[in-house]
Order: sequence, then C-alpha cells, then structure tokens
Amino acid sequence: MKAIQHITLAALATVFALGLSTDATAQCRSFTKKRCLPKLEEYVQNDNYNTAVLIPGDEAELSLTFFGGRAYRLLVCGHPVLGDLNFQVLDARGNGVYDSTDKDMSHFDFRVANTQQMTVRVQVPESSAALQHEGCVSIMVGSKS
Amino acid sequence: MHTPSTRRHSGAWSLGALTLFSLALLAGCSESAPPEDTSQEAPAQQVEEGAMPTTRTNALKKIFHAVPSPIETALLLEASGVNFSTGDLHDPAKASGYATTGSQAVNLGVYAGDLSYATIYNRNQEAIEYLNVARRLADELGVGDLIDSALIARAEDNRQVRDSLIHIVTSTFYALNARLKENGMEDVSGLIAAGGWIEGVYLGTRNLDGATQDLKVRIAEQKLTLDNLMSLLGSYPSTEDLAAMIASLEPVETAFAGVAIVDHAATTTTADDGMIVISGGPEITISDETLAAIATAISEVRNHYAN
Repeated sequence: MKAIQHITLAALATVFALGLSTDATAQCRSFTKKRCLPKLEEYVQNDNYNTAVLIPGDEAELSLTFFGGRAYRLLVCGHPVLGDLNFQVLDARGNGVYDSTDKDMSHFDFRVANTQQMTVRVQVPESSAALQHEGCVSIMVGSKS
Repeated sequence: MHTPSTRRHSGAWSLGALTLFSLALLAGCSESAPPEDTSQEAPAQQVEEGAMPTTRTNALKKIFHAVPSPIETALLLEASGVNFSTGDLHDPAKASGYATTGSQAVNLGVYAGDLSYATIYNRNQEAIEYLNVARRLADELGVGDLIDSALIARAEDNRQVRDSLIHIVTSTFYALNARLKENGMEDVSGLIAAGGWIEGVYLGTRNLDGATQDLKVRIAEQKLTLDNLMSLLGSYPSTEDLAAMIASLEPVETAFAGVAIVDHAATTTTADDGMIVISGGPEITISDETLAAIATAISEVRNHYAN
C-alpha cells in the first residue's frame, strides 16, 4: 500500500512538473507575440526563436552576426515577474560595448560600421522571495536599412 | 509519532491535496487573464501567461545561436546590386518529392530563401507561389496550420505592399520556428535555418562576373554567419540529418577559409542622429579565387539537397 502511494505520488509529481514545464514553454510563444514583438514594429525581425523559461539567477546568451550599414534593435523581453533584466553586448573579443545596467531600457538601438559577430548576455536578477517564479525571456533582434 | 493508520490518512490527504493543488494551478495557468504589469503584485497572484511558480533551484545558462533570416540576406543581396533571376530559384514542382523529415526541412529552408528573395524584389507572383510551396512542406512537418488559407489570402491581398509581405514572411517563419522548438523539434528548425542560409549564399553567388565590390564583401562576410550556423547545428542533440548537414557544409567551410579576417576591438560612438554606432570589428577581404571556390562549394551542397 505504502509503495503504491509513493509510486502514485511520484507519478503525479512528475505529471505536475511536466505539465508546468510544457505549459510554460507553450505560453512563451504567446507571451512573446503579445508582449515583445510589437516593440520591433518598425524593424524587420529576425525569425530565430530565442526564448527560454528562466528563473532568478539564470543567464542567457545569444551569438549573432550584425551587418555593417544596417540599423538594429536588440530587445531583451522578459516577464515582469523576473524583475529588471540586465544585458550586455560583447564584441568578438569579449570586450563590453554596451551595458543596460541602470539604464531602465529593455532595448538597445545601434548601427555597426563593419559587419561583426557579437554576443548578447542576459542576467535574471536573484530573488529572495519565498516562492520562486519562472518566466519567459526572449532575446529578439530586428533590423532596418 | 504517526501510527500506521494516521500515516495512511496523512498519505491520502497529501495525495488529495497535491491533486487539487495541481489541477487548480494548471487550470489557473490555462485560463490566464490578459497580461498586466504584475511587478507589484503578491507572488501568489503572479501566475499568468508566461510565468508561474517553479520547483527548479539550480541556475542555468541558456546559449542561443542565430543566423540571419532569409529576408535579411535577400535585403543585403538587393542592396549589393544582385539582379533577380527566376532561373536561379528552386523548382516549386519538386516540393512534393521530398519524403523524409530531413529533406523536407532543408528544402523548406531553401524555398523560404526563394520566397524571401522574390518578396524583396517585388516578384509578387513568385512570392505567393513559394508561400504555397512552404505551406505544403510545413504541412508535411506537422506545422501546416501556421501557413493556412487565411494567411495565404492575406498575402494575396497585400501582394503589392512589400513591407506587409515582409512582415507576413518573417512573422510566419518566427512562429514556425517557435512551434518546432516548442514541440521538441529543434533539430528540424536548425535544418530549415541551414537550408535558408545555403539558398541565400547560392543566390548571391550565381552571377559573379559583374559582381560589385559590395557584393563580394557581403559574400565574404558570410564566413561569420557560417560560423553561427555551424554553432547552431552543433548545439542540438545530434541526429543523422544534422550530422549529414554538418558534413555537407564542411567543403563550404573549407572554401570560406580563404576569406581573410583581421579582428579589431569594437568601439562605440554616437552619430549625429543620436544613434549609437559600433565601429571597429573585423576587416574582411576576399580574392576572386576564393569567391569562385565558395560559389562552387555552395552550389554543390545546395544541389545535393534541392535535387
């Protein structure tokens, strides 16, 4: 009887965890469409889907090539439950060229003079809340001439 | 201390409570209210679309790799003076001949490249035709509902408005990539990206005799995006199709090895219009021999898949 209870509880917990995980992933697409894509309205969006379900303390990185002569909007769009996300842009050598800390901006508009690879690094701030939440974080890039 | 009887009751209560809690939470998630600014709300009220309580405690680092979209590549080709040539596009009639998931995915990418090329050059009839071809292959991959009759009709209605068509194409392929990743088919998404990249470089290298210097540089720059693509393909759990694609691209990598890149640190300046400009970065040069080698290598891999 005890074994059956344990197995049942374990199975239910697994189903519960999988249900949350699948639901969170599915909800990210809808969240991104409603809350993030409109901020790239004036730009031709890159069609890569760089979205993940993250928790406080997590990091995300995106490596991408930016073309000389085009104007870009880099958008780091996270669910408000995660707090203010910080992000940095690093050149191919790992040198920082932009840091959003203290700027209160979720996007960075820029041009590159010469085509170059850069890395975007995003941090989800730590939280001391008793009940931790996970939320969607999307790194999006739009460009225009 | 619990007696066996109270333990049983306790276990039953826990089971029931967990079941009720699970059902309540899942129901709450699926019927989420319209998104509001929840940053000031109590944590218990923050279960809404895109966020929910987590049981995970170990922090992770998620790494993404991205390649330019076919639309972005087509815009670069147009700006570099490449002329549109229908004869360079993949034959739409061949779309029904791809039977495996791998060949369907790569060719969906190839056709997405052609769709983007036709869209940017205002070749509206071809664009609609390639959108229909994309629909057929997306259907084979189980995501055909994202290119439904309503979307095709919207594209038809906007066929004279390039910006609208661009938006339709990019948002459709964004949704398609999202759905594939959501369904655990990231490898398929990667193969589509590879097909799109291959077709973009293929179209850019078809008529090099009169190539502008700008076009030559744009082709050379694809060494960087090939690096992004190989990292993307290598980031997924290996499959037979992914391994085959990586192997197929090795001769292309060899050809691109002739492109010279001298790296410099990036610096930022502010332009007159207030836009931040990132200067520095690499100096990229390419010889005509390397350009010809790239054209040959990309043609071979493209025609291997789009046969």
